[in-house]
Amino acid sequence: MTLIYVALGTVFGFVLSRSGAADYDVIQGMFLFTELQLYGIIAVAVAVTAPGIWLIKRRGRTLAGRPIAIELKPLHRGNVVGGALFGVGWSIAGMCPGPILVNIGEGKVYALAALAGALVGAGVLGSLYPIFQRPFGLPPLKVGTGEG
Amino acid sequence: MSLILHDLQPLHWALAGVAIAGVTLALLLIGSRRLGLSTGFEDVCSLVLPAPYFRRAAVLSGRGWRLPLLAGLVLGGFLSAVLGGGWEPTWALGMFDRAIGLGPAGKLVWMFVGGLFIGFGTRLAGGCTSGHGIFGLANLEFPSLLSTISFMAAGIVTTQIVYRVLFPLVGAP
Repeated sequence: MTLIYVALGTVFGFVLSRSGAADYDVIQGMFLFTELQLYGIIAVAVAVTAPGIWLIKRRGRTLAGRPIAIELKPLHRGNVVGGALFGVGWSIAGMCPGPILVNIGEGKVYALAALAGALVGAGVLGSLYPIFQRPFGLPPLKVGTGEG
Repeated sequence: MSLILHDLQPLHWALAGVAIAGVTLALLLIGSRRLGLSTGFEDVCSLVLPAPYFRRAAVLSGRGWRLPLLAGLVLGGFLSAVLGGGWEPTWALGMFDRAIGLGPAGKLVWMFVGGLFIGFGTRLAGGCTSGHGIFGLANLEFPSLLSTISFMAAGIVTTQIVYRVLFPLVGAP
């Protein structure tokens, strides 16, 4: 199974690299509305994934016959506040989480600094979770903010 | 617009969208996994940080598939460079170089700060472009709609401030 996940990640990474989703200029162009490539990619990805999820849920089993269980993301104030902070970071770095790794693979040295920052940021949120829980109405620690 | 990587022409957006949907659905159909990359930051943190948050079952049980997926993303970027004209370390950063023009040290600081926002923000939001923007929206989840609107809006505002107010780029991109 591990190799399957590496293979899927590799395909994903290659597509992110070649589509512009991991390209600083294409990201800035999206936010400037001068380059609509990314809007098209996200719209098509969602439009194709939605009926696919519906069909797989209806089937109810993985290829190996295990039950399909999708954990839904909890609703809390962090969805909006965290989203806004992430949007600022996406604009500054020109990368979202997956493309940080893709850019590292491509040989873009500065992406290593983005990864370091992201790990520190995630580490702070996790280590100080109880402090952020109340102001952002976050779920109990066992649940977390949502996986994914 | 060509890519920073070897000035390659980008794939057609519809093809790229279908391919991303294919990977997303394969994860679900093969492993009952919901796509989500920012949780991978927690998986990596859980390798070294002792905080209870990183000892949760949700984090520990996901490492086995998410860390290989993340390794694949690096490999995919590497292969893309190799097949697209050769792999070499680079500091090239497109319009950032033309408009802002910081050297290597400045870029590292700039990217580290961006990374802080990305890591903290995505984990506070409970997802990123993949988990909220693609899987969550496609699965019709309300928190994902809120989060996606929020990060798109914040990205638009930030880039507009950076490239139209602070460092305007004449006649481009």
